Amino acid sequence: MGTALRYGLALMLGAAIGIGSMLYMAGLWPGMKPLDFGDIEVRGWRADFAIGSNAADPYTRARVARHGLLALAKSEAVYFTRTTDSSGEHLREECIYRLKVAEMPAEWWSVTLYDADSKLPMNEDEALSINADQNVFAEANEEDVGAVMTAIIAPQKPQENRLWISSRGAGNFDLTLRLYMPDEALLADPQSALEPPSVERLSCEDEA
Amino acid sequence: MSRWLGPIAMLIVTALATHWAALHYAPGVIMDRTLATLKNRGIAEHAFTTPQRITPQSQAVVRSSPDLFYSLCRYDLSTNGESSAWLDVTIGEWPEYQSLSFFDAHTNNFATIRTAGSAQKVRMISSMAAPGEDAADIVSPTLRGVVLIRRLAPTQALFEEAKAASNADSCTMVQP
Repeated sequence: MGTALRYGLALMLGAAIGIGSMLYMAGLWPGMKPLDFGDIEVRGWRADFAIGSNAADPYTRARVARHGLLALAKSEAVYFTRTTDSSGEHLREECIYRLKVAEMPAEWWSVTLYDADSKLPMNEDEALSINADQNVFAEANEEDVGAVMTAIIAPQKPQENRLWISSRGAGNFDLTLRLYMPDEALLADPQSALEPPSVERLSCEDEA
Repeated sequence: MSRWLGPIAMLIVTALATHWAALHYAPGVIMDRTLATLKNRGIAEHAFTTPQRITPQSQAVVRSSPDLFYSLCRYDLSTNGESSAWLDVTIGEWPEYQSLSFFDAHTNNFATIRTAGSAQKVRMISSMAAPGEDAADIVSPTLRGVVLIRRLAPTQALFEEAKAASNADSCTMVQP
């Protein structure tokens, strides 16, 4: 092999390794779940409190630029994301889930569903999120005990009169919990201050 | 074997340099593309653009919230080669939560003002402005970026009210 060819090969391979390792370490490698990263983990919900701050490391900044552009710093809002249900299975359109929300340590909150491209799912159901201003219970029952709000996550509107987040057209998805004007206690000790929403899988189309 | 030492050294150096460059430039490149996308979608420069409600069909930025009213203003203080221009930004009154946030060309959120229940006017200059410029409330680390108003408006009715409130918003570049 000629000298020029060896150096040319080294150059190309080095560039590929450099870009590939950057994408991997920043959680941007195709197929990776970028929002499964973060420095805070509370019962399946992950957050990156460095988002929006100058203290964010360059890998966090690259990831946020791609998947959370124009996000606010933690004093204004914190964002928790989960990609799995309470039993650890990936959230997917084929399944029906019950989302149970307890009292949140913030002035206002919402839970929104995003597809694998970090976009709102392409449907016209007008059921993209639930938030603190909605009715406490459209129809309370015994499963709602201990919650300030419950909702069904499903590709079709539930027959009973329940709050609904539509997963139609979402494929594999994630949920983002936004907490605006968070309490100081949450920023100081999220593990103690936050009882995050639970996501219980009720059934799946492809399961008997 | 010795004839591979040079290429292996080059591979390591290239990998490290490419890794660093990709990491360093990624936010800027992404923001640059975002600014271009916002421009193509009709987001004005030096003026707030009245938004459509966020829907799957209208979303322009990843992870937008459908419960908020977003109003964007692109800025470029290098217009006509001047870096001493400034931006006067006014956020109108809104009884619920609202914030005015500033993002530079590297995606950093370098300032946020919360103004629930009241209107506010601020002046922003770039860090490249000449010393002695008029006092400013906010200093942008870069010449280009985005100003974003968020208003809590989770229903169509509240969104329409937020839209009416936005008549008092302004984002104006001033050149001395």
